[in-house]
Amino acid sequence: MSSEVKKVTPELQMEITNLYYQEAYFLDNRKYKEWLELLTDDINYKMPMRETVEGVDIDNIAEDSSFFEETKTSLSTRVNRLYTKSAWVENPATRQRHFITNIVIDGTENPNEYNVRSYFLFKRSRGSTTDIEEMFGERNDIVRLVNNQWKIASRIVYPDQSVITTMNMSMFL
Amino acid sequence: MIKKTLEEKAFTHLKEKMDEGLLPQWVLTDPDIYDLEIEKIFGYSWQFLGHETEIKEPGSYVTRWMVHDPVILLRNRNGEIKAFLNSCTHRGTQLCTADRGNKKTFTCPYHGWSYNLDGDLIGIVAGNKVYGEEMDKSEWGLRPIPKVESYQGMIFGNLDPNAESLEDYLGEMKWYLDILLGRSGGMEVIGLPQRWVAKANWKATTENFAADPYHVQTTHRSTVEMGISPEDPLYAGYGHQVVMKNAHGINVITSKTGKARVPFQGTPESMWPLFEKHLTPEQLDIQSRVTVFVGGVYPNLSFVSPIHGTEGHLHNYLNFRMWRPLSPEKVEVWCWFLIDKAMPEDYKQAAYKGYLGSFGPSGTLEQDDTETWARIVEVSKGLMMKDKELNYNSVSNYLMGYNRVEPDENFPGPGTAYPTTYIDSISRSMHERWLELISKDLFVKEESQ
Repeated sequence: MSSEVKKVTPELQMEITNLYYQEAYFLDNRKYKEWLELLTDDINYKMPMRETVEGVDIDNIAEDSSFFEETKTSLSTRVNRLYTKSAWVENPATRQRHFITNIVIDGTENPNEYNVRSYFLFKRSRGSTTDIEEMFGERNDIVRLVNNQWKIASRIVYPDQSVITTMNMSMFL
Repeated sequence: MIKKTLEEKAFTHLKEKMDEGLLPQWVLTDPDIYDLEIEKIFGYSWQFLGHETEIKEPGSYVTRWMVHDPVILLRNRNGEIKAFLNSCTHRGTQLCTADRGNKKTFTCPYHGWSYNLDGDLIGIVAGNKVYGEEMDKSEWGLRPIPKVESYQGMIFGNLDPNAESLEDYLGEMKWYLDILLGRSGGMEVIGLPQRWVAKANWKATTENFAADPYHVQTTHRSTVEMGISPEDPLYAGYGHQVVMKNAHGINVITSKTGKARVPFQGTPESMWPLFEKHLTPEQLDIQSRVTVFVGGVYPNLSFVSPIHGTEGHLHNYLNFRMWRPLSPEKVEVWCWFLIDKAMPEDYKQAAYKGYLGSFGPSGTLEQDDTETWARIVEVSKGLMMKDKELNYNSVSNYLMGYNRVEPDENFPGPGTAYPTTYIDSISRSMHERWLELISKDLFVKEESQ
């Protein structure tokens, strides 16, 4: 079975890394409509909660609790809102950076799909204050080749914080 | 220490201005006022701890906070609900740091003292060898939260052993909680509460939620721009604002016609016979016509039951949120999703998504509120804002409907009901309660000297 899994070449590593850099650029420059184009129409975009649990080697993802559970349609609603004049949370716009690292790609049985794990560090500056907000964690994606273009077909965002350290979650991760 | 900076005169000024429908701005984030609030309001008021469905089984527990008092809320082996200070009686170490779980005993990682689900100290490492026979373990059990009581599944705690009962404290509010929580025979909490820290004062957030539908048409204008909410600037103002004893309040928002665009908040028709069974005819009438219930239990619990959703599907759910003060300028928000136990499973899931999209921390409605809360505290340190003599008329305006709108005697529910929700009646009542609590016994000693 493992022989059917496609090998990850340096070229592929580069292509998928560039997809993430492109995505971060769109998100950090308010190009949300362009960002939506990087997602497949059947995308499942989810961010479960992290919980503090006692014990060693115990799953600390709270699968029954979420921050986001989105489809392409609901993400489009969020995006469209950010283009209105009165989404005050982003007007004046915050300045954001998505730092994406530790990209590890695994082939799947579908030659056009790869599982991709990446780390994110999100930083945000709001208004002319000196407070810096940040969040970090891991993203588990399925990346799919559609018409010769890499798109994100599924994303599960695992935050490392159980109490969110940004004052709201107007951003996409 | 407090008396050095808070003079009686400042309180006299405060009272005078409040009687005119104004609130001096200096009180919002003043550190001495904040210390008084924590001691005199949160030390003596019923605070929300959790819902019974969060601790379903014997041994189930959640950890919570009553401002800075750590709490373990659990169900013991007999199925009884108990709440203890989450602090080992030996050296005060926080006993349990998990958010939730199930246990038979709680063991302190410092010296190994362990407690059962009734808070009894059951184990001391090397007990008799180091403490001898004279150590009486029954004297060193976990400290219980002085009062713990439930209403409609909602568990509250009170640090004052002499506090009035929860039911007396809720008073008229019970009639509305019976609709919100009891309409179909019981609600359940799904998942963990979402938590985040907002740059805000707890008074501003509670007021924003419980008492201020007037902010909706501007703060949440983006939803109007997108065609999700109506253009009419009065749209959140139709209905009644009800003021109750102990500064509890609710806004029953309907619409221009007095009826919501969908009956029973868009719940499935299969639920309606349950509503008929559990509600009085007056309660049922209100439930059939309401668009949004939004209000609060003083001091820091708010709720909203809206019709909301994305993708053209409308859903109703119940969101409770607790505003935990962390400092004069910081609030930890705790946000629970509740839904009728009897609701069809697919509806529950869809409503949860609707909640995340609207009032959860990532919700489109929630986000913009955080911006305005922050903008209030960010300018609250100014000398003019802090001027206690009020030379600069540094007061906030709570004049909406003041001495202008008469109560509607025909409203079927208890409390004083005004025929609009664009009115500052709940806010003014919250301020009165606030002043009554923080100034209690404050200047008595000086007078007697």
